[in-house]
Parts: sequence; C-alpha cells; structure tokens
Amino acid sequence: MLVKEMMRSPVTVISVEATIGEAFQLLQDRGFRHLPVVDQGRLVGILTDRDLRFATSSFCHTPRTAEDPVSGAMSSPPLTADPLDPVEDAARIMREHKIGCLPVVDGGELVGILTGMDLLDALMILTGVTKPSSRLEVALTDRPGELARLTAFLADRHVNIHSILTYPSPEAVRTVLRVASNQIRPLADDLRTAGFTVLWPIAKPWQH
Amino acid sequence: MATLIYRPEYAGYDFGPEHPFTPARLSMLLDLIHSLGHPTSPVAAPAATREEILSVHDEAFVAMVEALDRGEARPEAEQFGLGTPDNPIFPGMDLAARWLVGGALHGARLLIAGTDTRVLQLGGGLHHAQKDRAAGFCMYNDLAVAIQACVDHGWRVAYLDIDLHHGDGVQSLFYGNDRVLTISLHETGHYLYPGTGHIQELGTGSARGLSVNIPLEPFTEAESYLEAFEAVVPRALAEFSPHVLVVQAGADAHFADPLGDLALTTQTFQALHRRILELAEAHTQGRVLVTLGGGYEAQVVARVWTILYLTLMDLPVPEDLPQDWLDRWQHLLGPEVGRTLHDPIPAYPELPGRAERNRRNQDVVARLLDSLVRYWL
Repeated sequence: MLVKEMMRSPVTVISVEATIGEAFQLLQDRGFRHLPVVDQGRLVGILTDRDLRFATSSFCHTPRTAEDPVSGAMSSPPLTADPLDPVEDAARIMREHKIGCLPVVDGGELVGILTGMDLLDALMILTGVTKPSSRLEVALTDRPGELARLTAFLADRHVNIHSILTYPSPEAVRTVLRVASNQIRPLADDLRTAGFTVLWPIAKPWQH
Repeated sequence: MATLIYRPEYAGYDFGPEHPFTPARLSMLLDLIHSLGHPTSPVAAPAATREEILSVHDEAFVAMVEALDRGEARPEAEQFGLGTPDNPIFPGMDLAARWLVGGALHGARLLIAGTDTRVLQLGGGLHHAQKDRAAGFCMYNDLAVAIQACVDHGWRVAYLDIDLHHGDGVQSLFYGNDRVLTISLHETGHYLYPGTGHIQELGTGSARGLSVNIPLEPFTEAESYLEAFEAVVPRALAEFSPHVLVVQAGADAHFADPLGDLALTTQTFQALHRRILELAEAHTQGRVLVTLGGGYEAQVVARVWTILYLTLMDLPVPEDLPQDWLDRWQHLLGPEVGRTLHDPIPAYPELPGRAERNRRNQDVVARLLDSLVRYWL
C-alpha cells in the first residue's frame, strides 16, 4: 500500500503571506488540523491548529496576533513523503517525529497530504474484512517456507483466505488469517495434526 | 400449543456426508419427540416460489443457484458464495432451499391470518444468506423472506437470533429498514465466523438503533449469557413494540458444539425458550415464529430442539431419554450422550477465567446500552 493510495488530494494550502487570522478561519471553516504553507506554489512550511494556538497563547514569550503572517507560526522546513513511499514508511516517520501529517511532494510539487487519520484508514483496510470469515491464528517458525506451508495447507482444502497478517513475537511469527469458512475448529484440529501451532481457536477445556 | 411446520423434503437440503449441516439432525429430532410419546401432525407448507425468493434476494444470485443446480459450469460461482467448502453445490439445491423458505413463509402467513400465534418451523434458520450470495451453509434466507412478508402486511417485526453465530444476513437485509428490529446474541466476531456483529453495527438512516448486537466472549456460560440477554432484549422489544417476534433458535451455543466456543447447557436453552415465549406474550400478543438454525453435535441438537418443541407445545420436559431412541441412533450420538434429556450438572469441568469473561461481557453490554439509549430516548 503506497502513500499515493491513501493521501488526500488536491490539498488546501495557504500562502506564506497570509495572516494567522486567515489561517485560523480556513482551518475552522474546512474542519482541518493541518495546512501546508506555500510560497509561489512551493511548499515552505506546515501550520497546524496546535501551532496557531501556541503562537497566539498568552503563555508564549512573544504572542502573535491575528494580523501577523503565518510564517511566524509555521514549522519549517516540513518533513515530506514521496507518493511512491510505502504507507508503513510514512507511518514510521510520523511516529518517530511525533507529527500528525506529511505533505506529499513529487518533483518539487505538492501533490497531496497524508495525516494520522489516513493511516487509521489504511490500518482498517489492511486488517478489516468485509466478507464473512473466521479468525485463525497460527505461530510459525521464523524461517523460509513456513507461511507457504500454511497457505498450501489451506489451498489443499479449498479454503479461501480473505486477509493474512504476520507480526513478530519473541517466540514465533504470529500469523492471523481471516478465512472464508464457518468450520474453523475442525480446520484447527487438522492443522494441529499436521504439526502447526494453532493459537486460535484453542482446544476446549473439556475436549479429550 | 404451537403449529408445527415440517415436511420430509427438508431433508433434501443436504451438502453431503462430510458436511456438518446434515439433515440427519432433523430425523433424530423428530424420532426423539415421537419416542417421548408425542406424535406430531406437522403442516406441510408449499415451497417458496421464485418470486418469493426475489422479495429479498438478487435475481442474478437466484439465477446462479438455478444454473448450478442444472449442472452448468460457472467459474464465477464462488463470487456468489457457491461451490465453497461451506456451501457446496448439490443437485436439487434450488428446490431444497425453497422448501425451507416456504415453511418459514407459511409460518408468517399463519400468524398474519391469525390462525395461530405460535409457529415452529422445524428446519431452516439460514441467517447467513445475503442478498447476493450464499454464506455459512445458508443459501436462501428463509427468515428474511418471512420477515419481509410480515413487513409487507404492515407489521413491525422483531428478529431475535440466539444462534452461536452473528445473524449477519438478516441484519444486512434490513439494516436500513425501520420496520425491522434485529437482535443477535453470538460469540464475538473478533474470532468466530462471520466476523461481524460488533456493538457498533447499529443500523442506518431511520433504522439507526434497530440493529442490536450482543457479542460475547468465547466460553461465556449461562449466567453471563442470560445477564446480557436480560439487560438488552426486553428493553429493546419494549422500545420497538413489534407486532411479531421471529426467532432463529440455533443450538450451537451449546458447550459441546464442535464449531464454536460458547458454553451454554440444555438448561440454559430451556430458560431461553421459556423467556422468549414470555417476551412474546408481553410484546407481540404471543405472536412468535421460531425456526431452527445452527447446531452441529448430533446428540446436543436433538436434545436442545426437543426441549424447544416441548416448551412451545406446553408439554412437560421429561427426565430420561427413551432407550429405543438411544439404540436407534447410537451410531450418530456417540459416547458423549448421557441417559437424560438435560445435561448432567455440572455439565463440564469448571472453566478458568470466568470472572474476567463475565466482566468483559458486562463492559460490552454497557457500551452497547450507552449507544442505544440515544435512539431509545
């Protein structure tokens, strides 16, 4: 999943010569929290609702007024993403820098914006299942071919996989599948017989 | 007393010997009822017509069922949920499914005509079937066709689903219909098929608040289940004031069911069946249409649904299973079957983590009610 699939486009921007009051009004009217700042079409900064509140707060050393230019409140230069970056790379940048958005720049041109909300959308698409399915969780050994062994096992039984996620844990690679089957317990029994470590469904306490 | 709807053709809804949704369950059930000294005289309902199926299903889906039934090869069958391990293709499946729909529909018509107020359809309960696809052993949605007939009559319909699995097909078919309240209690979709039935699924548009889901933790037992039921169902029915109650009475929430993880006992089911009749008396002038549903452990479903039958017929529930019945069905009943109609007490060893499970269920119910009261006020 690439940034260009999840970013918002076109982007609402504000000129570097605009005032803080104008920026506030724009954020308010459009329900945004992040506003790229441009100078003759070039991205020069990012202005968030938090920047505005801080810059105009009486707790600030030199509080700005509504008539001051946005250049005094914006963050500059902004961190940016490329439209062909994987979303997880964008997520890592935002997490490491604790920022809420990344303007997306292609060949020096601002082409979109990716916010934390868009990453939540990405998470829902990646993990969400829109078709009837059951959850199967298997602990795989961290070596080549284990996932293939699991999917081949399901393919042999003609069980369609709707989604598959893996993530590392200290002991094993935890693999969560949503499969198009109502018969998950018999399937889990077969997997155990074939030597897989099935984490869900667990054996019933009263089964022998 | 209730009107019983059944005909031998229901046994034709058969996905083959390896499939859990086997019609042998019905034969065992009827034989047990008879062996307990209760001859039945069921009403044989006509099959639903193609047009009646189309009251809830897409024409393209029905045409696909018919084509596959004729033996035509259709590579796109799986997009309609057909030809899968859950819903294999078998000859005669269109008519087999229409017999089941016809029974539920006939039951609805008996209620509408005022012939009876209590109807038990001994079969069906195919709640996973969607508008445009088969799913989870369900081809045509008999419940939805019956509900639609009641809606067309001008009634408000409350649908109650106690199957182990979320009643996703019925819910989605009426998700925006403010004449239909759907309530489903089920093992949480975080794990179990079909993966839906979360408390946030509340209906849409004017039907917001009329889709009610009570997802329960794996290994939820009677006490917590009934607590959740009582916290939500009576209030929802009172707010909606339906004309009729349609119930999917699946038996797979039983602890011994091979497909799921809830831990109800036959005693819990009897309490539920009685409570459902009380709620019908209180909210729908006694009008209730009950179908069967999921349930995949032979010795369990025969006992649970016999208890359902006896309860609906106002008959006493005896202690023992008849020896001749046990002898006849031993090959399907297996070693787990006892000698009594009810489960032994205790039915299974104590399950660790009960307090934690019950608390989580209470939290879920509290969150659900927080959302619902906005629409109830």
